[in-house]
Amino acid sequence: MNGTTTITATVAHLLTPAERQHWKLAWLSCVDHKRIGILYMLTALAFFVIGGIEALLIRLQLIVPNNTLLAPDTYNWLFTMHGTTMIFLVAMPAVFGIANYVLPLQIGARDMAFPRLNALGVWLVPFGGILLHFSFLAGGAPAVGWFAYTPLSEAPYSSQLGVDYWAISLLVLGIGSVSTGINFIVTVLTQRAPGMTLRRLPLFTWMIFCNAFLVILALPILNAGLVMLLIDRLLQGRFFLPFGGGSAIMWQHIFWAFGHPEVYIVAIPAWAILSEVIPVFSRKPIFGYQFVAASTVVIVFLSLLVWAHHMFTVGLGHAVDLFFVAASVLIAVPTGVKLFAWSSTMVGGRVRFTTPMLFCVAALLQFLIGGLTGISHAVAPLDWQTKNSYYLVAHFHNIFVGLIVFAIMGGVHYWFPKMSGRMMSERIGKWTFWLMTIGFNLTFMIQHVLGLAGMPRRTFTYPDLPGWGWMNMVSTIGAFFMAAGSILFVWNLVISLFRGQPAGDNPWNAWTLEWATTSPPPHENFDALPPIHSRRPLWDYANPDRPDPVVPVGGAIDTFRPDKIKAGVLTFIISEAGFFGVLILAYLFYNATSQSGPGAQQLDVLKTTIFSICLFASSFTIWRSEAGLRANKLGKMKAWLIATIVLGGIFIVGQALEYWHLFQSGVTVGLDLFATTFFTLTGFHGLHVSFGLLALLVVLGVALVSNLKHGRFPALGAVGYYWHFVDVVWVFVFSIVYLWPLIR
Amino acid sequence: MTTQQFLNSAWTWNTTALVLSGVALIAYAWAFGLNRRIPYLLAALGVFVLTLVSPLNALAAGYLFSAHMLQHILLLLIVPALLLMSLPRSVSLGSRSWLIANPFVGWIAGVSAMWLWHARPLCNAAVSSQFVNALQISSLLLLGAIFWRQILAPREDERISPPGAVLYLFSACVACSILGILITFSPVSVCPIYAQPPADRLGILNLIHTKWGLTPETDQQVGGLLMWVPMCLVYLSAIVAQLARWFAHPVASAPVTDKAL
Repeated sequence: MNGTTTITATVAHLLTPAERQHWKLAWLSCVDHKRIGILYMLTALAFFVIGGIEALLIRLQLIVPNNTLLAPDTYNWLFTMHGTTMIFLVAMPAVFGIANYVLPLQIGARDMAFPRLNALGVWLVPFGGILLHFSFLAGGAPAVGWFAYTPLSEAPYSSQLGVDYWAISLLVLGIGSVSTGINFIVTVLTQRAPGMTLRRLPLFTWMIFCNAFLVILALPILNAGLVMLLIDRLLQGRFFLPFGGGSAIMWQHIFWAFGHPEVYIVAIPAWAILSEVIPVFSRKPIFGYQFVAASTVVIVFLSLLVWAHHMFTVGLGHAVDLFFVAASVLIAVPTGVKLFAWSSTMVGGRVRFTTPMLFCVAALLQFLIGGLTGISHAVAPLDWQTKNSYYLVAHFHNIFVGLIVFAIMGGVHYWFPKMSGRMMSERIGKWTFWLMTIGFNLTFMIQHVLGLAGMPRRTFTYPDLPGWGWMNMVSTIGAFFMAAGSILFVWNLVISLFRGQPAGDNPWNAWTLEWATTSPPPHENFDALPPIHSRRPLWDYANPDRPDPVVPVGGAIDTFRPDKIKAGVLTFIISEAGFFGVLILAYLFYNATSQSGPGAQQLDVLKTTIFSICLFASSFTIWRSEAGLRANKLGKMKAWLIATIVLGGIFIVGQALEYWHLFQSGVTVGLDLFATTFFTLTGFHGLHVSFGLLALLVVLGVALVSNLKHGRFPALGAVGYYWHFVDVVWVFVFSIVYLWPLIR
Repeated sequence: MTTQQFLNSAWTWNTTALVLSGVALIAYAWAFGLNRRIPYLLAALGVFVLTLVSPLNALAAGYLFSAHMLQHILLLLIVPALLLMSLPRSVSLGSRSWLIANPFVGWIAGVSAMWLWHARPLCNAAVSSQFVNALQISSLLLLGAIFWRQILAPREDERISPPGAVLYLFSACVACSILGILITFSPVSVCPIYAQPPADRLGILNLIHTKWGLTPETDQQVGGLLMWVPMCLVYLSAIVAQLARWFAHPVASAPVTDKAL
């Protein structure tokens, strides 16, 4: 076969004959989870190059003491953009991409539960990324670190638009991530093949499923914080500005309540890849499936609980520190269980050190180091000494690069044959591996020493102290090793796509369902599925004489398969509850002591009570509307639906009148803490009511024009859930904002 | 007074608690005989009596909000759970149609016991009035039992399924954590009676403030943190037990019914 025909054949793989007619749109408009997964990964790769170049510039600046290559401001831009890019635009899209490709295949599904929502999620990534990087053209990138601590990130101290772009782009990315999280949860719950019970899920899928809960719970916390920051910056709000009565520490709480789970949001998929690759190349089933699966749930739970260990140096007091030292050290138990399970899987196995396996073993070892230094940070007194030093930089790069990037690279080498139908070059792969691991350890291991020697992080240069110069030189040289490794990795991807050996269906002799179809899989994924009785269906199929023990079906929950749309809305509501939870907590915190100036006492409780009754009544009317649908009385259904819209409309008009009245008497968002929190909380609720009204209008429109004779109209039930939720939120908001001041 | 003297002297005699425990023990032995689950009952009664007679009770009676919180957690989460675990597997706790069989009712019971008793007037009244205090203790035990029934009912078919139980416990933890967070960081006193103890009956105020370093502010923080962190670890332990229950293969009870899928 000569080169031209290979390339033509590959291009033929990328597009079906029908798509060649409109090839410009074929990938842009597609909703196939496999292509979306690849788009996610390509986006991540593009931003990996950008974030990598930023890292190299940082390392070049630090190569010698007192260097003047970069100005201090430029350095601050670069480390902010490097951190933000690598976490939100590289790690998250990369793991979402792999999961998007693999998860539906592993459960024998045809696609994700909501393919169009999936497309929305993937396209929000480049959109958010471009918004973030546009700040370079709009007067300067953010220079506040990826954590954007207030008050530095507030308008008086960062007056340029960089932080606004940063916050808006993260908001866009956060919404995309929540949509993807919802999609993973609903896909696992509703799209499983017959026989694929919840207890038979491959570990990769199980861990992505658990992780999706973390995504929908943690991201809304950040989103709430971001809108508060934006209200501060753009509407002169007072949340995080100490001289306006606000609390700068509040931002840190919100940020780390998201930020700590975020580490696990990218780490759990990395562990998921390890749990898939290590058994396959050890030729043994995973040691202790139950322990790995259960410890994942424990980690999801604990990670939401222990954020304050990021704030030991803030000065929260000994009492607070003490509790969070104890809770943080506990995380070592479930992670230790995992390390033990992976190591024990290799013991006594026939280990094959292919490129994917090499990357995963390296990830395991680097994670061991990063995990141990992590425990050292859980101990407050040690943390005080090392927090602001390169010791911490070394620690978290062991997790983010050593564990996560290595696991992702292992995963890409492992699943590339499935995605492309061709093997990646093992020779280039091993070169990539050694360049990456040697480069990584040169760069970061020595930073532990630098940190303990006292070199502070986030500083654009350093004095010529004994030893600091050569250690930084080594670190920078290591970074270029990694750059070379990354270039080889991309080269390997390109060359293998065109010239790689044909892979066949199951090149690694693996056991999960994605290997039961062709490489690449057809659009509909499977022609036929093997029977599923255990966690390794392909092993059972290939070894009918000695199959895995059957994983029994024990009750309804194993075959639980809720309605897709309702499950989607309910998951969305969980996530929204998190968002409102943060806003309500902020309201309670800021209004615990009553201030001078207009407060909740000035509100017209009677008028609002009347409008609130309208809103509560609309919960009743939409319930009647659904009852009408169930009884197949479509006239009744439509009438009650119209009543719901009218009642919701009255509420919104009432709220608008209240706002108008307050504005007239000089109460605006920036007036004082009460006004800021009041308008934020009620405003976001009003926004949700408005969206609910729009959805109701759409449902009414559909009901009026279409023929609903079968009594099936799932959209009404879904909007109904959402509407009830908005009403329940108002029960809380109304009690806290309007009734609480009357009784206290 | 030193810490040692305090720990030796601050035990209170509580006839009601002792009599109730004795009655419970006799009733149990009469109903179920001396079976092998009786250690759970003994543990439950032990924790119950200790909570109400030990120096913890003396501290909770007006001195330390954090001591009150520990009592609260023990009575709401530990004692009822142990009581339910002591029942033989065959005991049914009411039919499916009862109100307490509804998981939402159970969840609300567990969470509201936390929130309601920390409303400022109720929290104060539970310290200053004997009657409200007794009401508080009995309501905690009752609400705790209703909460745990969903997880620990003796009969498997009266419990919720393990994944549902994980969500049930997780969301209960979140709901209580929110209150814990509020109490920890609240700039105002949640239960002002602890900020100004009416009278230093035991003469230990100095000990608490200077030796133990528990000023009213720190005391409230510790109280909030107890509700936020260790209490969630109780739920977490229950979650681990649920996961173990789920992944333990019910080979004996459920034959392979793949054809049913």
